[in-house]
Amino acid sequence: MISYKSKTLDNLAVVEAAERALDKTCITADEFQQIKTAYPVDLYTPNIYMRFGLFILTLVVVFFSFGLFCLLFMAGGEKAIAGLTLFFGACLYGAIEFMVNEKKHYKSGVDAALMWMSGAAVIGAAIVFTDTHISLSGISLLVLLLAMLFVLRFADVSMSIVAYLAFLTLLFSLFMHAGRMVIPFMLMGVSLVIYLLSRKLTTIHTYRHYTSCLKMIEILSLITLYLGGNYFVVREASNALFELDLKPGQSIPGAWIFWIFTVIIPPIYIFAGIRKKDSILIRTGLFLVAAIVFTIRSYHSVAPIEVAMTLGGIILIALAYGITRLLLPSRNGFTSEQTDDDKTDAIQLEAVIIAQSFNQQAPQGDQFNFGGGSGGGGGASGSY
Amino acid sequence: MDIHLFEKLQNEGLISPDSTEKVRILSRNKLFSLHWELKTILYLGVLLLSGGLGILIYKNIDTIGHQAILAMIALVCAGCFFYCFKQKLPFSWNRVAAPNGFFDYVLLLGCLTFLSFITYLQVQYNVFGTRYGAATFFPMLVLLFSAYYFDHLGILSMAITNFAAWLGLTVTPMRLLSANDFSSQRIIYTGIFVGLLLVFVAYMGDRLDRKKHFAFTYSNFGVHVFMIACLAGLMGGGLGDSYEPDNSYMLWFLLLAGATTFFYTQALKKRSFYFLLIVALYGYIGVSYVVVRLLVAANSVEAFYAGLLYFIGSGIGAVIFLMNTSKKLKKA
Repeated sequence: MISYKSKTLDNLAVVEAAERALDKTCITADEFQQIKTAYPVDLYTPNIYMRFGLFILTLVVVFFSFGLFCLLFMAGGEKAIAGLTLFFGACLYGAIEFMVNEKKHYKSGVDAALMWMSGAAVIGAAIVFTDTHISLSGISLLVLLLAMLFVLRFADVSMSIVAYLAFLTLLFSLFMHAGRMVIPFMLMGVSLVIYLLSRKLTTIHTYRHYTSCLKMIEILSLITLYLGGNYFVVREASNALFELDLKPGQSIPGAWIFWIFTVIIPPIYIFAGIRKKDSILIRTGLFLVAAIVFTIRSYHSVAPIEVAMTLGGIILIALAYGITRLLLPSRNGFTSEQTDDDKTDAIQLEAVIIAQSFNQQAPQGDQFNFGGGSGGGGGASGSY
Repeated sequence: MDIHLFEKLQNEGLISPDSTEKVRILSRNKLFSLHWELKTILYLGVLLLSGGLGILIYKNIDTIGHQAILAMIALVCAGCFFYCFKQKLPFSWNRVAAPNGFFDYVLLLGCLTFLSFITYLQVQYNVFGTRYGAATFFPMLVLLFSAYYFDHLGILSMAITNFAAWLGLTVTPMRLLSANDFSSQRIIYTGIFVGLLLVFVAYMGDRLDRKKHFAFTYSNFGVHVFMIACLAGLMGGGLGDSYEPDNSYMLWFLLLAGATTFFYTQALKKRSFYFLLIVALYGYIGVSYVVVRLLVAANSVEAFYAGLLYFIGSGIGAVIFLMNTSKKLKKA
């Protein structure tokens, strides 16, 4: 099923585990070298920055190749162009298989760029063939099939995101007429099933090469499970899709049940994450706490924004302080210290984020505003 | 770590029982770290608090309550700096670790509230008069001092953006392109100057062993600003006017080529994949612009085909170049 040799990927996993052990000085450098020779890996996986560069450059090459290709075979009507595009997509797919099997590219950026362009070419061809009269369910089914193909063959994480979203769109287009009260619960139910399924699959040895894809699906399904029950999403989506014509202050039927979901799901994630020591659950839960705040503030103004910000800031700082104190040095297997070695770039990234969020803009003319930018007080990002 | 794997490796004679034992102890005592979660919460807290306080004084500037708010900001700021001076480890020109997990954020809060305070003084009492430059310059000195004295990369990058703002340039990462008017010659020359200066500071810091780990932050801002200013200078003339041939863009191209070579050798020396990539991409954009401009001047159908072929060929060439260089870097 997967295009890579299973043995090579297993070797890669062994070498990566040995590398971590080496970082922790559990094994010696000699032992690491021995492991590397005993478990050879001939895959080409560049550094993350190189991967990005290769992705961009491959996109450039494919774009201009397509342009040249079209120019050379321009004669013939729309159908001919569609056929050529389809053929081009198939060629690109062949190119990925070549890069993977012959050039041993594994997560190199080249493969991902070719995947995106190949998929886009096939979908583009389908749209031209049908004269843009393709139905939502048709196009999402096509996207789903293509993305699944890429996921199964190359275990590409970005394609697993595409596949999951296409799957949800397909379900949505099929259940659209079933009524607006059904859709949120359907979305939540399906997300839950997919979440449990991917958790189950990660533990099965046969699917070990797809672990990172399955982890991504876990995160996405937790988020869509929440969005399906989130009051803001349900109200605004049903307002737009079913022409309820709600006025501000008006509510949807059965609002209370969505308010309960809105407020209760993230704490459940965090709680379950702490119990199971599952960082995906904890992080998704924390992220969604922001969604609770956003949803409540959209409908009920508890306090003016600056008071809410100040108080919220104090609460967050106190919370972080309290938890750190609680976990000093460690409690119930939790710690506030860093256990994995620092990815040296994390601290640099933090510096960039700080520069970004407390932005200093060049003063325009003779104006001098607070913080010099659009935000007030040299602190706030965004404009108020 | 999966202990079964290491037991298997031991059975195969690849690692010693000693090593397996170390792995076993480590995986038994493995703690679940909430480090980054807590850091993010703290960061958001500081962001909200300083932003909230800033807006509070701004909105209440003409009311009686603003004195109280101002006093509070001053108090928070003084408290933060007091804490930092008390807690900090002795100064050194090398990397100094933060004494605890909160230190960096307390310092950040202190600096941000300080900025709010200065801004307030300027708006309300016009402390710096109409010399708006001073109102940016003075906080910059404080930021720069804090960054070096307490060893804080985030504050350093704030100082850099402040310094550029003082010279009339916005170097906030995501706004570098949108907030500056690169059609203005003054902005281009400022960009060239700021970029060169930052790269120079990075280079000297590294050479003289003064806070070596700041070099990345300096050169990151420096290289981007310089290269973008250089490309803006290069492309300022659009795609050229066939009636009035103007070859001054070649000067910019020479500057770009020289800079690319210099940064490239530096990246190789420092073994930085990141700088290698950005320099290669900026260089590629510059070369492609010149090629396209020359082809446009040729003004023929063949030139159009040649352009397509150029992008296909050069793209593949750049891919191979990057792959080879990264292999070379990995091996070295």
